[in-house]
Amino acid sequence: MHRFRKFYIDNRDKLFGYLLRRSGNRHLAADLVQETFTRYLERYRNHEQSPALLYTIGRNLFYDEMRQNNRLVPGEEIGQVTVADQEEAYIAKEESSKIFAAMERLGEDERDILALVVSSGLSYQEIADIRQCSVANIKVKVHRARQKLKKLLQENTHG
Amino acid sequence: MDDYLISLFIDDEMNLDEKIVFVETVHTSRQFSLEAVAFLEQEKMLRALPAQMPASVMPRLQGNTVFSWSSLFRSRWQPMLATAMILMGLAFFLTPSPPTLTTQSEQRFVLYLPQASQAKIVGTFTNWNPVPMQKIGASGYWSLTLKVPQGEHRYSYLVEDGNRLVDPTVIAREHDDFGGENSVLVVGGGDADPVS
Repeated sequence: MHRFRKFYIDNRDKLFGYLLRRSGNRHLAADLVQETFTRYLERYRNHEQSPALLYTIGRNLFYDEMRQNNRLVPGEEIGQVTVADQEEAYIAKEESSKIFAAMERLGEDERDILALVVSSGLSYQEIADIRQCSVANIKVKVHRARQKLKKLLQENTHG
Repeated sequence: MDDYLISLFIDDEMNLDEKIVFVETVHTSRQFSLEAVAFLEQEKMLRALPAQMPASVMPRLQGNTVFSWSSLFRSRWQPMLATAMILMGLAFFLTPSPPTLTTQSEQRFVLYLPQASQAKIVGTFTNWNPVPMQKIGASGYWSLTLKVPQGEHRYSYLVEDGNRLVDPTVIAREHDDFGGENSVLVVGGGDADPVS
């Protein structure tokens, strides 16, 4: 269990970041993190620890949730950033709200791949394994997603 | 333009050849260089989002015990477990039993509920009688330390209007027969961790 505890601590916040970027909902993201670790433990506690497997479970749970309950509440509490200074917190909140608003306008595929790259710390190869595609495909798609996000942010700023 | 290299650079995914092309392009193309900086700035914003699980929902992993038997009972091992339990039950009745000792362990329950005017805990270790929790100043936290007998327990929190909450800091949960949910806590023997 000590081994798992370390795995949990190493991956908890990153997985939360991924699911938050996917769902735009802190409570849902936190619930999904718990459920993901629970399922991981139930099924794979004796396997070699694999963050890629963890993200696969989390990602599938997220899609199940989308299909079943439609619990996504775009932008809900999204801007809570841990910054002590209030003014900085306000600016950070504004910025993160903008980012989330722009991410919501990305295509499903683009949002997923960007959330994985930004949050997980996994390599392109591991992300390719999760998404069952080639590394070349990831390379192209990641940058396209960033380009599109940049364009959306510029549109928001100018209009 | 090889602008996809900017993403490879951001994500530490370049091989040496790509690094050479990237550095040369940064030097020769002002536009590429500005583009790279713009993407890096965007990335800072993207990664500055809340990166920590809210404290109130951090699962509490204790020793060897949290991942409860209950999950096993729901698994594909259920038939084998059932058989094993019947055999163990028979063994129990057919062999003389040693005197049993019930040990207790102090457990501290903490709940973050700033809006609540009261919070109680209810569970197998309180015989399902609600026990009021104490508010910790103006922190928004409620706390209660109880002596809990060794073994596996079910519990939840009661807040205003009779609403029940599972412990958001404990992963292991189980549905009850009334459509609700309880947290599952396993208190081990002498080495049971007091909850901090």
